[in-house]
Amino acid sequence: MGMNDKKLKEFRQREKRKKLNHWFQNLLLTFFVLLFGFPIYWIFIGAFKEKGEFFHYPPIFWINHFKFDNFFRALSLGGSKGTLDSLIVACVGTVLVVILALFAGYGLGRFKFGGPNLSFFVLSLLFAPPIIAVLPLFFIFKYLRIVDTYLALIWSYLLINLPFAIWLIKGFIEDLPEEIESAALVDGHSRFGAFRKVTLPLIIPGVVVSALFVFVFAWNEFLFALMFTRSNVRTLPVVLSELIGGHGIQWGELSALSLIAIIPGVILVVFFQKYLVRGLTFGAVKG
Amino acid sequence: MKEISTNVLIGRNSFAKRITLPSIIILVVTVVGPLGFLLYASFFDWSLTVPAPPRFAWFYNFVLVFKDTRFWNAFRNTSALMIAGIITQSILGLIIAFLLNRKFRFKKLAITILALPIMVTPVVLGFNWRIIFHEHYGPLNYIIRLLGGAGSSWIADPKLALFSIFLVDTWQWTPFVTLILLAGLQSIPHQVYEATDVDGATGWQTFWRITLPLLRPMFVLVILFRIIWIFKIFDPVYILTGGGPGITTETLSLYTYISWVKYWKVGYTSALALVQLVIMNIIAMIFVRKVMQRRRA
Repeated sequence: MGMNDKKLKEFRQREKRKKLNHWFQNLLLTFFVLLFGFPIYWIFIGAFKEKGEFFHYPPIFWINHFKFDNFFRALSLGGSKGTLDSLIVACVGTVLVVILALFAGYGLGRFKFGGPNLSFFVLSLLFAPPIIAVLPLFFIFKYLRIVDTYLALIWSYLLINLPFAIWLIKGFIEDLPEEIESAALVDGHSRFGAFRKVTLPLIIPGVVVSALFVFVFAWNEFLFALMFTRSNVRTLPVVLSELIGGHGIQWGELSALSLIAIIPGVILVVFFQKYLVRGLTFGAVKG
Repeated sequence: MKEISTNVLIGRNSFAKRITLPSIIILVVTVVGPLGFLLYASFFDWSLTVPAPPRFAWFYNFVLVFKDTRFWNAFRNTSALMIAGIITQSILGLIIAFLLNRKFRFKKLAITILALPIMVTPVVLGFNWRIIFHEHYGPLNYIIRLLGGAGSSWIADPKLALFSIFLVDTWQWTPFVTLILLAGLQSIPHQVYEATDVDGATGWQTFWRITLPLLRPMFVLVILFRIIWIFKIFDPVYILTGGGPGITTETLSLYTYISWVKYWKVGYTSALALVQLVIMNIIAMIFVRKVMQRRRA
């Protein structure tokens, strides 16, 4: 009997400790979520703050008015032009990249075209710092007289996004066994027909995810936009950076524009979380 | 039957060529053009601020790069960000991954909020942190003062500027590390833990002997990716400090940008760019050996 009592006491103690541990872990996690969520929250409330509320001590952590004045002013300060140009560059670039990457990804993934060397070439482009392309592209664009055009940006984004999309789509194709196409070939379909009727429908989710990543990368890109645009084309990050470096301190307008700028990225995180790790690791982790 | 199987193989190679080559040719042309220009320009003593025409100078520009104290400063800053970032983000990322790898309510919401920083427009996060770091009105100094500290000017303080960049990088990329390590933790089968429970191993023993070794491939991946991304770091530095105060936060990308946009040195910048390309290609080769081939096996 004594033995059993002792065991019961031990068991209860262990349960109590487990519960305490669980609470402590929840508390710690809440702290981290608040810590990492805070800057995003700060952008959000900043977009609705009035000018005086930025220059207030102690800082204002809570607002209860939602007026959209900052948004309207931001859009007239170049925000609408920036949003439109970002949309144009990102949309056209995404369509182009996805079409090209679909074919190349299929060839590399299904047929191992070019062997490991070609695959490595594509991968190494992903690792190269974009800064090294700035100077030569500038000379090329100047020679072709396309500095400050949509074409210059779409072209330069191709350099970053095409290798990425090829690599990602290649991974999605490698997930499918080749045998599923053999059946279609036996039925008398052409190779392209087999690709279109059998493989393509199965990798549509992968293509959508790749397109979304490519869109967000183009939308967020700053360095090339800074270098290759002047006044005809001004993407959102360029407009933002000029407002930041400008003379007037327009934090409200900047926050409003920031909120618009992060929408595509937020959509990617919220609705395509399943593919986030896969995209960010170029397909190395399936997640 | 034999007829069918040859039918499946017929035209395989020529089709592969036709479907792959157009994109690859476009890619190669867009890459070879700029790369050719860099190789060509790096051999010339060539600056746009000097009226003299470019002069062939052999490896002079590369010698200049390695003798340039400002290059080494940028190299040191980038390396410091890398080392501090990788260590801090790995530890913090692992802790958060462990906290997430349990069953609880709002799990999906917690992961979503944590993952948001990864995809925030870099310029936006630069601006946003400028407000957070603000000496007088920033929330960071406010909280530090509440806790009894004095607060500081962060990005304007030469001693703290690089540390501030590190803070921003850690804020943005720890969630990435967390997500990868969480994927790793979730792939460890339950039976492994049950077996150690039976053996009577303590929590720490399980962690050191079982969990950590099993997470090793994920750590390799995380480290390589952080090396790649921090090596390129430009946007947050440009927006937050512009390399200053002085050159205390100048990274390799930022210095390359400055040597081109501010000093218009064509030959020198090209050499600088090529040096970075070579370093990055070596890392890419390691990456392929360690990660991509393991995946295939």
